[in-house]
Order: sequence, then structure tokens, then C-alpha cells
Amino acid sequence: MYRYDEFDQKAVDERVVQFSGQVARRLSGELTEDEFKPLRLMNGLYLQLHAYMLRVAIPYGTLSSKQLRMLAHIARKYDKDYAHFTTRQNLQYNWPRLADVPAILADLATVEMHAIQTSGNCIRNVTSDHFAGASADEVDDPRIWSEIIRQWSTFHPEFSYLPRKFKIAVTAAPKDRAAIKVHDIGIIIRRDAADVLAFDVYVGGGQGRTPLIGHMIGESIAAEDLLAYLEATMRVYNQYGRRDNIYKARIKILVHQIGADEMRRQVAVEFVEVKAQGALALPQVEIDRIAAYFASPAFETLSDENPTTANPAFNVWLENNVAKHKVPGYAIVTVSLKPIGGIPGDASAAQMDVVAGLAEKCSFDEVRVSHEQNLVLAHVRQRDLLTVWQQLAAAGLGTANYGLITDIIACPGLDYCDLANARSINIAQAISTRFANQDRQREIGELKLKISGCINACGHHHVGHIGILGVDKKGVEFYQITLGGSGDETASVGEILGPAFGEADVPDAIETLIDVYFAKRSPGERFLDTYRRVGIQPFREKLYAAH
Amino acid sequence: MPQVLTANRLSDGEVVYLASDGAWVERIAAAKVFTSPAEGESGLHIGAAAERELKIVHAYLFDITPAGKPVKMREVIRAAGPTVRRDLGKQAAL
Ligand code: SF4
Repeated sequence: MYRYDEFDQKAVDERVVQFSGQVARRLSGELTEDEFKPLRLMNGLYLQLHAYMLRVAIPYGTLSSKQLRMLAHIARKYDKDYAHFTTRQNLQYNWPRLADVPAILADLATVEMHAIQTSGNCIRNVTSDHFAGASADEVDDPRIWSEIIRQWSTFHPEFSYLPRKFKIAVTAAPKDRAAIKVHDIGIIIRRDAADVLAFDVYVGGGQGRTPLIGHMIGESIAAEDLLAYLEATMRVYNQYGRRDNIYKARIKILVHQIGADEMRRQVAVEFVEVKAQGALALPQVEIDRIAAYFASPAFETLSDENPTTANPAFNVWLENNVAKHKVPGYAIVTVSLKPIGGIPGDASAAQMDVVAGLAEKCSFDEVRVSHEQNLVLAHVRQRDLLTVWQQLAAAGLGTANYGLITDIIACPGLDYCDLANARSINIAQAISTRFANQDRQREIGELKLKISGCINACGHHHVGHIGILGVDKKGVEFYQITLGGSGDETASVGEILGPAFGEADVPDAIETLIDVYFAKRSPGERFLDTYRRVGIQPFREKLYAAH
Repeated sequence: MPQVLTANRLSDGEVVYLASDGAWVERIAAAKVFTSPAEGESGLHIGAAAERELKIVHAYLFDITPAGKPVKMREVIRAAGPTVRRDLGKQAAL
């Protein structure tokens, strides 16, 4: 794992002191709310419906056991004994007192954590593949590159006041688990014919009000030029991105308006200039220095085994939640934070401690947070899987639903969020309860259902195979359903089915869509495959005939 | 439509309402009801003063029904707590 050097630690410690002073000045009246708001947002502190909310950065979703224990400790000491893992691989506390925030940040700093770059118009916390360093299909550990980008972008003077927030995601596997094509910049790391790393840079993807899929602007960028290319992209954006209209200020709008070819041309011009200056060239020794932090743990020499037992519940979990590891004898475990009828992404302090303990004992001290709001134990010996499952199950973390219809992404929605139009968690709970039957879920197969409480799309509804968007119609919550979105390497934006449904009708509507899928599917097809083959019409007809 | 003045308490973000005696209270049941736009306007001045006095942030008026319930779901949830965690927020103490 990456460890802070003295500069990182100093910067974070200084920020704690600085923000503590700002909080004190706010509480004493030296700062007005108007003056304080941008300062608190720079430190991840929002004011939501019921209380302040503190968003803690978890760079590329990687945590040590010690860090996760600290997050649990903070939940216990300063909050209401739980926290919420977000689709940005971050963590949110929903009830901190303003006066306690300096102490929370000081506690976080002791484990090399902070809340910087989780808010405001800066380059946000870089996200990545939650199976990084473990999956058999990756060509390199994407966290090395995420960290290199983090170091370049953090406190970069030109990028602290961008036209809008800016999100970067990195993957190094052909299977895109980081949804890189719906980020402002998405990077796919490949190996070229000569087995050398090559970086494809996608620009202008995003969700929100105007969902767009990113375009490949930079192809096969060399490792040493990666930062120069990103800097060139940011310069073009900074120069032309609209600051006069927040709905048009994202880079996706710029790319959409001038076109991918023109964007490519402009970035190429800047790229030549940035490269000529030479300051951003990445020497191999620097790449190696960062890579050393992500060196593989000391895996034992083992052989793959068949971990199935006579326990059917364990075997089902094994099939659903355990993925192939790159090292024989090991496995990747997804810890579902989606208990049936539960709140997606919420974990109690006790549950966080259980996962931290398991990571320490059985996963080389590493935990991952996925953008799908689950946790991951990345390096578990296959022979330990049964014990791991037993302990997870005892803590309410053994739900065998990874990738299934009840593994729902849902943003906090109107239950917590100041910007929401409608609730989203309640809809997730109703659907999860309706489809609780394990056999039925498995019969449906992979289905990404994603729910947002407003058009900001924190719940990624645009890229759900089934997406649900909460809307407010004259004070009443309604839910608009989209079909056919996808956040993976075949990224697509979902299409709106038709008029929205009332809260109580949503589970029935989903049932109807599943019925159509069953009726139409060819052998081996997932919901998304069937949708892509037959189109929206059969779903639309049945749904609106039935309702 | 009758209205109530609400805000979040500066120190902890708690949802509060202006009561008839000028105090900021946690329960909507104890909130002062403004029955005319002119009254509401005066309420906003009280809110602005309370912001300067460091009691609260972001004061605003919202509509309630004649029975005293918030019209909008947003205010129902602020007055009670998350509908998905009945053990949290103001509702927990009820
Ligand atoms: S999608 Fe909207 S309601 Fe949901 S968390 Fe984001 S801003 Fe809030």
C-alpha cells in the first residue's frame, strides 16, 4: 500500500491545523457562513438535511486494516456508530458535529487519511478497479498510476479552481470494473505488442444531467508521458471550459460541443508544448518508486483447490462473491454491503471492525471499497474462505448477491441529501425485499440495478442495466426507469422507458421487466444482452400495458 | 399557506425551528406558525439576525398544512429523521 512520505504527512497535518483554525473562527463568528462554506467544502464537510456530513477520501478505494479500524472508531466516537460507503469509493459520516470535525480530521491524519479532494471544483479523489493487484486479467496494478495521478493533481495550483469538479478513473484490465468511460478522464492501461505499457485516455464521459460516454482522445500514450498528456488535457479544459454556467462547465460538454476530433487536436497541440517543457516527464525511477508501494504481498506457493463444502449456503456465496485471483491458491472476496432489505453501502462500526480483523488475518492487511458500494478482501487463501465466510455471515456481511439484482447501488437520496428530489434507499430496500429469493436472483443472473435520488446521478442510474431516477412531481416522489445502461467496457447510457412510477409501483414494474427478460432471453444471455438484442420496445409495451 | 421558519444549528447541524418565544427549538410541534407573507418576511429577518448571532445557518420558510404537517417530503424527513433509520434523528426520541 502507498505510505505517506514526510511531505504528504506534513501537508495533511498542516491542513488539519489550518481547518481547525477555520472552524474555530467560524464558531467565534470571525467567519460568516458565506466565507466558511468554500473552506469547509475543500475539507469534505457538507451541510445536509439533518446535520453536517463529512466525506473522507479513500484513494482508489484501498484501505489498511488500521485505517478501517480508525474509520470505525470515528463512527463510534463522533457519529452514530455507522458510516456510508459511496460510489466514489469514499466514506461519509452523516452526523458529525462541526466542533468535532477538527478532532476527526486529526484522528484521520494519524492513519494517513483526510477529507481533501472529496468536494469542490478540483480533481477529485482518483478511483480505480477494486480488484487491482489481485485480478487475473490486469496488465499492471492501476493503483500505481492512480497514485501518480493523485500526487500530480493534489494541491496543483492550476487545478484547485477548475470550472467544475473533475473525476478521473483508472483501470488496467480489459474488464472495466471502474466505469472509466463515464468519468471526465478515464484511463485504460494496456500492454502493446512489445509488452510495453500503453495508456488509452478517454475524455468527456460523465453522468449527471447530461450523461455522455467518453471518447478516446489519447491512444497508446507512453508511461513517461502520461502526466504531460493529462496536463495538456486539463489546460485545454481550463482554457475553454465554461465557467459561466455550471450545467455546461464539465469537460464532457466541451468535448460534446467541439467534437472529439477537435478536442484531440487541441490536446495534441498542448501536449507538444508540455512535453517540450519536460517537467512532467515521468522517469522510470519515479515509476518504480511508486510501484514499490504496491508490490505484491508475500504470497505463498499454493495450488488452486476446490473450496466447496457440504454447506449449500457457503457454496452459493462462493459462486457469487468469490472471484479468481491471479495467484494460485488465492481468491478475491466481495463483502456485500447489501443485506436483503438493508441500506446499500452502510456498515456499522462493529462490521467495519470485523472486516478489518479479517483483512489483517486473511488478506495481507488490505481492504478495498468498490464503487458498487461493497468491500473487497483482495487476497484470501482459498483454504481460508470458509472461515472468512463464517465470520462475515455472523456479522451480517455474508449476503451472497454480488452482481445480482439485490446488489443495488443507491445514493443517500432524500433520506439524507440536501439536493435530492426523492428518496432512493427505500426503493432499493423494496426491490431487494421483493427479489430476496436466492434461487430467483441467480436465475435472473447478472443485473446491475442503480438508483439516484436526483439527476446528479451519484447512484449511477444512467449506467444501470436497470436505472431508477427519483423525481419530484408536485411534492410527490416518482421514479423514472431507464434500461440498457452499462458502466463497463461496453459502456452505454440507459434509455428512458416512459412515464415515471409512484413509489409503491416500482417493485411491480421491475417484476414486469424481469418477466419480459425471461420471456425473451436466449440461452446464456444476461438481462443487458437480451435488452441489447431485442431493444426497449417489448419491455415498454408490457410495462405500460400492465400499469 | 401557513409557514414555519427552519434552519440548521451552527454547532452541530441539528434541524431547528423558530418558536414563538424567539428560541430555536428542535421539535416542529413547538414552532411558531406564520400565517401571512408579511409575518413570514419578519421571520426571515429574525433568521438573518440569528445567523449573525451564530445560532443557526441557512434559515428559510417552508409550507405546512393547516394541521401543522410539512407539505413537502423533504421537510417531513428533516422534522423526523431518515425514513430508513427510524432509530436515528428526532424520531428516535419519540
Ligand atoms: S444523486 Fe442527488 S440525491 Fe443522490 S446523493 Fe447525489 S445529489 Fe444527493
